[in-house]
Amino acid sequence: MTAQRDKESDNPTCYHLRLFVAGDEPNSRQAKETLNRLCEAYLKDHYTLEIVDVLEDYRAALENQILVAPTLIIAAPPPPITIIGSLSDTRRVLNALGLPASEEGL
Amino acid sequence: MKEQKPTYEELEARLAQAEETLRAIRSGSIDAIVGDQGMLIMRAKAAEDALRETQKTLEAVVETAPILIVMTDSRGRIVLFNRACEELTGYSRQEVLGKTIPELFLSPEWVPIVAERFADPFNPALQELHINPWITKTGEERLIEWRCKALPMPRGTGYFVLGTGLDITERKRAEEEREKLEAQLRQAQKMEAVGRLAGGVAHDFNNMLTTILGYADLALREVSPESPLHDDLLEIVKAAQRSADLTRQLLAFARRQTVNPIVLDLNDAVSGLLKMLRRLIGEDIDLIWMPGHDLWPVKIDPSQVDQLLANLAVNARDAITGVGKITIETHNVVLDEAYCVDHVDFLPGEYVMLAVSDTGVGMSKEVLEHLFEPFFTTKEVGKGTGLGLATVYGIVKQNDGFINVYSEPGQGTTFKIYLPRSEAQSVEIPAEKTAEPLWGGRETVLIVEDEKAILDIGERVLEGLGYTVLVARSPNEAIRLAEEHVGDIHLLITDVVMPEMNGRDLAEQLTSIRPGIKCLYMSGYTANVIAQRGVLNEGVCFIQKPFSAMSLAVKVREALEQAS
Repeated sequence: MTAQRDKESDNPTCYHLRLFVAGDEPNSRQAKETLNRLCEAYLKDHYTLEIVDVLEDYRAALENQILVAPTLIIAAPPPPITIIGSLSDTRRVLNALGLPASEEGL
Repeated sequence: MKEQKPTYEELEARLAQAEETLRAIRSGSIDAIVGDQGMLIMRAKAAEDALRETQKTLEAVVETAPILIVMTDSRGRIVLFNRACEELTGYSRQEVLGKTIPELFLSPEWVPIVAERFADPFNPALQELHINPWITKTGEERLIEWRCKALPMPRGTGYFVLGTGLDITERKRAEEEREKLEAQLRQAQKMEAVGRLAGGVAHDFNNMLTTILGYADLALREVSPESPLHDDLLEIVKAAQRSADLTRQLLAFARRQTVNPIVLDLNDAVSGLLKMLRRLIGEDIDLIWMPGHDLWPVKIDPSQVDQLLANLAVNARDAITGVGKITIETHNVVLDEAYCVDHVDFLPGEYVMLAVSDTGVGMSKEVLEHLFEPFFTTKEVGKGTGLGLATVYGIVKQNDGFINVYSEPGQGTTFKIYLPRSEAQSVEIPAEKTAEPLWGGRETVLIVEDEKAILDIGERVLEGLGYTVLVARSPNEAIRLAEEHVGDIHLLITDVVMPEMNGRDLAEQLTSIRPGIKCLYMSGYTANVIAQRGVLNEGVCFIQKPFSAMSLAVKVREALEQAS
């Protein structure tokens, strides 16, 4: 399953995110929920999110050298950053996105 | 193509990522590892959690199930014992785990049976329902219906045997109870049907016997006692009387015997019969009489007590070869609800029990089943009519009583008769009337009877005694005669069951035409016209068919002299 959201606008900072999940397993589900929430709150209309299910499409995982799911790759803006796990540490995700962690109050 | 060496920074970044991956795996925050060729390893913890959840659910099912669930390992040791098992057996799980079923729950005779059954635990027959009882901690035996299945152990060579069982002790008990009640009900229905048939036969038979007896009586009067014909006629009378006794017994069994019950003390009634009974049973058999103290009164026709005791005594006598003893006893008993649950015919209440026991050969179960059926006899041909005990049964039933028989081959027999306690005080048993000379009279008598032969006999006998006799073959003819006859009509003698109207209705109509007319009913059996279930209504004069000339003469006088 590949879900894609494309909400690019004329904002100069455009994020491209790729999340590798394993079906609807607990950590994968939590990662999807957390990421969606953060994106809607902080990156509204300034991001693209690609969700790759390794159970359905393991080749994409191999090509991206993904070892475990869930794994989030922040492909753009460079340099690419990889975050592994259920994204329960939102502070770290915001930090990787270059957003002020203190505003995370959701 | 030559592979480019990674820079120090790149190696450091990869190492950091590897460390992060390891941390994520250790902390359980990943779901899958992507291996070579895309082979996936799902997170073991998730699978374990799911398994644990499933196991929890299964354990709850096992624990709350109302059926017995027990599991043993390949050496027969109990490894699972649910709450239903604990409740049934009285043993806690701690007490049974590690022990075997035979050492805890089986009675010795069941150990080899169960051992053989489980010799091959994978035998599919074990999955079919089979019963084997368990003994509880308190020593009680419970019947359990089992279904078992051997389950191979997931790893290794052993197996478990899973047994699920249902306690069917109560169900089995109820089934047995129902079967017993049904058998008793069938028996009661059979007796009722045979009784009806016997009653019907006896009725017609009595009409014919009345004719035979009547004409033989008349002929006897015409023949001098010296004539050889006189003896021949006497033989006819005797044979007819013996036949009449037979039909009387049939009627007694069919509960259609017309009776005049009085309230009496059974001890007095039995005492008065002892002499006759001693003669009946002979010298080799001791008769022991054990009257109960302060016996309650019962209401019964004294002649029926004679019939009861005579029949039971003869039966007891015939069961004894050589010497022995017969015991007659009485006492008061109270039958409670619990007793009546086991005895379908019985009703709770206060009774006087009359028991007749013998030390004879006893009876088998098969004989007991047919005991009260008319014409059932174990005696040689010509020795018994098969009506004695049928009569006893009929008399007991007619008096709202019950009868029980206890017997086993070689152990003798006891008949126990229960007659309901009467609330009224007992009266003296009237002394038997001695034969009196034929009384005649000058009164006018109207006889109504649809059987012509009986009508003719009645007319001839009564005319011979000096009465003026009017005869009618139907109630309507009788009414016409009553209206047309000039002069008094003193007595109506009428059959009870007739085609146009019954005897009682006829008597009522005639009373309106001729007030003060007396009435004498005659019948082979009474139906419910002048008697309720054979018990005569107060003040009713009745003569039982068949009757002799003498008894007719006596009854006619009695009826004529009865106060209006």
